[in-house]
Order: sequence, then C-alpha cells, then structure tokens
Amino acid sequence: MEDIFQWCREGVAMQVRVWLDDTEHDMNQGDDHGFSPLHWAAKEGHLKIVEMLVQRGARINSTNRGDDTPLHLAAAHGHHDIVHLLLKNRADINFTNEHGNTPLHYACFWGYEAIAEELIENGALAALANKDGDTPLDKGKGLIVKHLKDLALQSGQDLTKINFKDQSWLGLKTRSRDATLSRHKGINLSDLYLHTKMATSPSGETWRGHWQKNDIVAKVLAVRQCSPRISRDFNEEFPKLRIFSHPNVLPVIGCCNSPPNLVVISQYMPWGSLFTLLHEGARVTVDTALALRLAVDVARAMAFLHSLERIIPQFHLNSHHIMIDEDLTARINMADAKFSFQEKGRIYYPGWMSPEALQKKRSDTNSEACDMWSFAVLLWELATRDVPFANFSPMEIGMKVVLEGLRLTIPSNISPHLTKLIKICMNEDSGKRPTFDMVLPILDKMKR
Amino acid sequence: MTSPRSKSPKPQNSFRKEDSKDETTFWDKIGTLGRKKRIKEVQEVQEEGKYAIDSPGNPAMADVPPEEYTLEENEERTMVEPKSYSDPKLLELMSILIDWVNDVLADHRIIVQNLEQDLYDGQVLQKLYEKLTHEKLDVPEVTQSEEGQKQKLYVVLGSVNNILGLTGNRLSQQKWSVESVHSKNLVAILHLLVSLARHFRAPIRLPENVTVNVVIVQKRDGLLKNRTVIEEITSRYDDLGMRCERDAFDTLFDHAPDKLEVVKKSLVTFVNKHLNKINMEVQDLDTQFHDGVYLTLLMGLLEGFFVPLYSFNLSPQNFEQKVHNVNVAFDLMQEIGLAAPKARPEDIVNLDLKSTLRVLYNLFTKYKNVY
Repeated sequence: MEDIFQWCREGVAMQVRVWLDDTEHDMNQGDDHGFSPLHWAAKEGHLKIVEMLVQRGARINSTNRGDDTPLHLAAAHGHHDIVHLLLKNRADINFTNEHGNTPLHYACFWGYEAIAEELIENGALAALANKDGDTPLDKGKGLIVKHLKDLALQSGQDLTKINFKDQSWLGLKTRSRDATLSRHKGINLSDLYLHTKMATSPSGETWRGHWQKNDIVAKVLAVRQCSPRISRDFNEEFPKLRIFSHPNVLPVIGCCNSPPNLVVISQYMPWGSLFTLLHEGARVTVDTALALRLAVDVARAMAFLHSLERIIPQFHLNSHHIMIDEDLTARINMADAKFSFQEKGRIYYPGWMSPEALQKKRSDTNSEACDMWSFAVLLWELATRDVPFANFSPMEIGMKVVLEGLRLTIPSNISPHLTKLIKICMNEDSGKRPTFDMVLPILDKMKR
Repeated sequence: MTSPRSKSPKPQNSFRKEDSKDETTFWDKIGTLGRKKRIKEVQEVQEEGKYAIDSPGNPAMADVPPEEYTLEENEERTMVEPKSYSDPKLLELMSILIDWVNDVLADHRIIVQNLEQDLYDGQVLQKLYEKLTHEKLDVPEVTQSEEGQKQKLYVVLGSVNNILGLTGNRLSQQKWSVESVHSKNLVAILHLLVSLARHFRAPIRLPENVTVNVVIVQKRDGLLKNRTVIEEITSRYDDLGMRCERDAFDTLFDHAPDKLEVVKKSLVTFVNKHLNKINMEVQDLDTQFHDGVYLTLLMGLLEGFFVPLYSFNLSPQNFEQKVHNVNVAFDLMQEIGLAAPKARPEDIVNLDLKSTLRVLYNLFTKYKNVY
C-alpha cells in the first residue's frame, strides 16, 4: 500500500509534502506498531522530511508501541543531523523506552561517538540505569567510554548510578494516535460507547465515551426538529471541521448523522477547556510563560485557519472553545464551530466578540478582524486571569458593548508590551487590526 | 398601515394602451396601404373579441343612469352616499380588505382591484371561500350568464351563511343577499368580507367604527322620498387573536376586568425587573410589546444569551419588520423549549391584548424565579 509511512521510510519528500497539504491528514497518527511518520523519517535518516514534519507541528516526543521516541531511533541509527534538529525542538532527552533505555544508551551501544557527545552536552544523564541496571556507559565499548565519562564529569554530572524508575504509569508519554482515527468520516451511532455525561449546554449534550478504543467526546447537538434539510446541511458542513493537519487545531474526528441524532465526535482532552484551566480551579497555575505559550498556540492555529482557502463555518474564538491537550498545548476545538442551523440568533459568549460582529452579519464584516478582536480579549483574559465582563449577563454585555461603548480596561500591573499588543489587536477600526501572521513574531519575541 | 405586505403585485392602473398605440403607428409607417388595411381589420376583430369576452357578464343595470330607474309603488332602492366614498376610514377599510383577499388568493393569481367590480359574479368569493375553508364547492368554474352567476352566488353565500351560523331564524341577520352582491352593493359586500375576516381571524387589524351613509329612496304615492341611514360596518375593536380553547384569559377579560389590571401590573413588574438591566422600561403592556423588540430582548435576558442586532430590527419602521421581530422572539421561545405560542405574530403586532398577555404570562410562569 502506498501510504505516508512508506513515503517517510523511503524518503519520498514530494509525496509527503502533498499528503501534508491535505487538512484531513493527521501527521501524528501511527502505524500498526505506533510509528508516526516522524519516527520513520528519523529512523531512516531523511532530514528533509523530518524538518518538514517538525515545522508543521508533528509531535517531537510521541512514542511507538515500544515507547521509543523519534530521538531514540535517530540516535540508534546514527543520524546526527536529525538528533541535532530534534534536540533543538525540545525533544525529551532522558526519555526511557520499555527497556528503560534512553537515546544515549543506543548511541553508546552502537558507538556513535559524536551523537553521544551532543546528547551529553545537552543534558543526557550518563549514569541513568535501564531495567537491567545498565547505564549508557556500560553499553559502550572501548575508548569511547572513557572519553564520554570525562565529558559527563566536565558538564557537572554525578556518575553514581541512578536506578531505573518505572514512570510509564505517570502517563507522561504521548503515544502516536491510532491511524484509523482520521479515516472515518461517518461514524455509526451504535459503534459509540458513551458512559458519562459531561455537560449540557445550549448547543447540546456532551458525553465522554469510547470509540474504537479511543477516548472520545461526543457532542449530541440540540436541534429542535431535525429536518432532512438540516441533516443534509450537517453532512455538507462537518467535513470542513476535520482539520488534522495542524497541531493547534483539534479536529472533529467524525460525525454520526442519524436523525434525530446529530453527533459530533472529537478526541478527549483531559484538561478541558482554556476557560476551565484559567477560571475553574485547575491543577496547574498559568504563569506568564505558560500564558504566552498558550497565546502563541492559539495565534498559530488562527493564522493557519485564516490561511486556508475554504471558509471555516462560524468559529467564535473564546476560551470556552479552546481545549488544552495533555502536554498543555492549546488547540482550538473545531467541534465548537457552529453549524449553519445551530443557535441562530443567539450568542452565548458576546464578551469575546467585537462590536461589529454583534451588530452585523458575518458576511458583512471582516471575520478575520473580528477574530483578532476576540484574540485580544483572550490575551486580556490570559494576562488578568479574569473572565471578561464577569458581572454582566450575555444580553447586558452585548447591549452595553454595542450601544454604550463598554470596553475591557487593562489593569496597570500588566506588562507594557502586552498592554500595547492588546490595544493594537482591539483597535476600534477593524481595518487597522493586525493579522495573526503579524502578531506571531511579536508574541515569539515576548516569549523569550 | 396595519396591513401586512401583500403577496401579490399591486395592480397597475395604466394598462398598456399607450404601448399598443405606439405599435400601430409603427406599423402604419412601414406597412403598405393594403397591409395596413389588413392589420386594421385584425385589430378590430381583436378589439371586438376582447370586448365580447368582457361584456356579456356585466349586468345591464350597472351602466343604466338613475333617471331610468323605474320604481314600483313602495319599492325601495339604496345607494351609498357619494361623499362617503371619500371617507378616509372607509378607504382604509377597503384597501385592507382588498389586500387581505389578494393575500389569501395570491397563489391562485387572482388580483382584486375593486371590491364592487370584482366580487359581484361570485367567482372570487367562491375561491376565497374554498381557500379559507379548504373545502371545494360544487359550482361550475366559469359562468358567463347572469343566471349562472346568480346561481353560483346562491351556492357560495349559502355556504358562507352556514359556516357563519346564519341559518334558521338567524338568517334574517345576514346583511347580504344574492341580489345585493350581484348588483354590486358596496355595503353588502363590505359586511360580507368583514364577517369572513372576523370569522377566519384574518391576521389584519380592521379600522374601528367605520360607517357608511346610505341613501334609501322609496316611492310612495307616486313620489320619490329619500332618507339617509348610517350603516355601521365595523364597531369597536374586539379581539382578532387566534381562536383556541377558552382559557383563564378569556374568563378574565369577560368577567373580571378589575383583576385584569392586577395581572397586567404584575406582568409589567416582572418584565421590568429584567429589562431594567439594559436600561429599558415598559409602562404600558397594551402597546409597548407589539413591535417584538422588548419581547426579543427579554428572551435573551431570561435565557442568558445575546441576540445579535442583525437578526432583528431594534427600531422597526413598518408592519413587516414588526412581524419579523415577533417571529424572531417566537422562534427563540421554541428553541429553548417553550411550547409554540398560540398567538400568531400578526396578532401581537395588531395590538391584540389577549394574545400579548398570553405570551407574557407563559414567560412569567417559566421564569418568575429568575433574577
């Protein structure tokens, strides 16, 4: 079968590029052994493809069935350039596979001295024992061992053996996704196993459940009367939400169109929404660094959406519609985009919307500029950890924003850079607001 | 003013007479003499044919000047006093009724321009009856002869009387007859249409207290004597709302007008508790809810959403926009799980108090504990 795994293995960069351009393709899927495209490219040493995948947001630390990361494979097969690239992109250097081996174990065992050196220089522990009690240095042969030992000592490592600790139960690793995930558009309602109701909102009921051994969230849309027309519109619209090709976009996996039930299925995100993370007593504190990272994630996702030629159905950017992945990356949730027949004439989160979006039809506004306003409100929210206009009900917010000029006030304790950015993005004149492509470098700079 | 936009095009009075005149001059210029003659002939035949189609249906009486009326002893004739025709109220009533009939019959492509000229032959009345009752009448489709027309009117008016309950000894209450309608008696035709509109709860608001001065001429002892009678076409406003099962509001209206004030007051308090949040206030339930604006805003306040301003008219200008607003509010009610209101949007816009109160009371029962 001609498939992405084969192309990555054989280094057919052209085909890989074409494949990646299709938004329905999920670059983080794994094959039968859990190898993602990045695993194969790293193993076979195709630097070009690795670069391409990394640049488009492939997960650096995803694991295969044996818990190897791409870094393990690159180190074991002597691809120094790829090891270098992965390390530059925050690869987890001391990650252990099912045998308890780190990438350094493999570099030493196969005698790739240069790679081992770079690993140690970047903080790989030379004394970390695997399941059999062997350290990387135990695996090496000959002169190399002596040399590496010196290097480790030079960089301040303590060479007393660190015993193997099984950490797999901690759930730190991110397995590559089931490859079948992105191949199903229409899903049979009877294949879903829904066990817990998570929430009921005006748009429908949200259930947690399983589908083909995947943890999923199913949203059963609230439709007053599911006419054949609505069912047809649903069928036409949901494929546009299956965007697998960006790391900061959470795609709709598939849908069940079985009137009267219309169900939208997406991956389960244990952290919940950004709103939950910020305002509902989450288990992590969002410090400035994390807040900025989340902002960059969202900006990347929005820049990507705006770069697509097709028009995304109504997606209202706000913290309720951003999900937090297990590695704390933010992903905008396509399952929260509104179908044309949904919530007509009702806006539940007007606080994030620009004054013009509250007054004019989407077709009469510059929707990209409206998204930018919403992003500014999001930045304000990340900076203050407050809910925008928390004291007012949606109707009050809408009327006051439109008719009475109600605006968010930026507290003085916010950094002047961020204050300035919020003000620029929230320009009253929609034509003067920047695009996400323009905001990204600013945010990147602020991150440093 | 209070009539909905008609679904049928407004009749254009200036027919294409001038066009056809232009055409003849054009042919005159290029045609040879012989051809011109033949064209003239053809046109004459066409004219004649056109006239022939129109003419036999006209009852001869219509064009007979009053001088030729020969009255038997004690015979009466009635006619509408000419200056009544320029009464603005009557004109309004007629135009509302014409719009209504045209709306009802829009999909039959029937356009009525004049109540007297277009209804007497029973054709339009038959279609109107069939459309309103969804029943088919057993009458010939087209009738040319006066006899046939009267026969048809007899069947149509008989059925109308039946559904209006004007049978037996109440028959004497009917204010129209085959003769009066066929002789294009405006008063009879108006009474008939107003009764139909009331019976079928047409979504229109008829002007109140419309009267017509009727001159009655009677020949007594060989002398013509006339007197003027004021004929009342519509009286004080009574509710036009949807007929439904009698509920508490009917009782309230009929038997306890004093309690009605209390109900109104508590509804005003309820409504203002929410509207005050967006700096709005209602004083008068009777008139301030008819345009649907407060109703729509209230839905958002009660259910916790904002209604984008493009989906309704914050300051509606005409009947159509008001109906749209009330429709939006009704739609929202159903979306959030309330039963569909029994009232029609048009009733609310037409200031039907009972319908308005029913809708508000529905909201009150669901949300009285919401703050």
